Amino acid sequence: MRCRECVEHLYEYLDREVTPGLEAEIRAHIEHCPPCSQHFDFETLFLKFVRVRCRAQGAPLTLRRRILEQLFEE
Amino acid sequence: MAPTPPSTPPTPPPSPPAALSPEERRASFEREALAHLDALYRVALRLTGNASDAEDLVQETMLRAYRSWERYTPGTNAKGWLLTILRHLFINEYRRRSRHPETVDVDTIEPFALFQEVQEEDPQGAFFDRIVDEEVLRAVDQLPEAFREAVTLSDVEGLSYEEVAKVLDVPVGTVKSRLYRGRRLLQAKLYDYAVSMGYIKGQTKK
Repeated sequence: MRCRECVEHLYEYLDREVTPGLEAEIRAHIEHCPPCSQHFDFETLFLKFVRVRCRAQGAPLTLRRRILEQLFEE
Repeated sequence: MAPTPPSTPPTPPPSPPAALSPEERRASFEREALAHLDALYRVALRLTGNASDAEDLVQETMLRAYRSWERYTPGTNAKGWLLTILRHLFINEYRRRSRHPETVDVDTIEPFALFQEVQEEDPQGAFFDRIVDEEVLRAVDQLPEAFREAVTLSDVEGLSYEEVAKVLDVPVGTVKSRLYRGRRLLQAKLYDYAVSMGYIKGQTKK
């Protein structure tokens, strides 16, 4: 596998949406290709960054209470 | 090259769901639906762009879900089911007053790869740590709606391509391309911000 092909599947690989065969090929390539390895690490970090930062906020407690009241106490 | 779908045997439930007692109905709804309240609220916030509409949208979603709770098969994907209800409600009742302007022509988006821009200066992405949560959310909110929903459902809430495709009612290939472009656009926005704040040197793209 060449770098270009590897990077084409970058997101599908990181999203765990590739077939086991392709996954093994990509993993094998990354293991001996420092530039691709660094690229994949960077994108992994980016996706984790987005997930963690955007999940910091949850529903307000007042909303939970309002819903419980509306559903179960009418 | 379709990814292998998760193995969900198409076996029908062993017995037809007996009518639930009010207590059972409430307990199962709390366990399987209310457990996703935070996720629903976050998605609603990204769709509507303001807390007040987001709260109303989630409340209405929960009300509708509870009324049709019998149509949900226990143990299946409650999160996806709820998000589908939420999104339909948003489109039918909230979208026209959402504050997000649809001004970006998605075909004019330049390919931008953050890694290429910063690999000399900060290949470990240390500057991410300096960006506050509010700025990340602001950057997501600035994405065109089609990208914003794909990124939110996949990257923030962890839905699979297949699940995102179901909620958005589009093919999996469309989900992939929206995610790809949405992520690139998000990276471009974060890059511009990081440069403007002096977290990285770079050259602000316009």
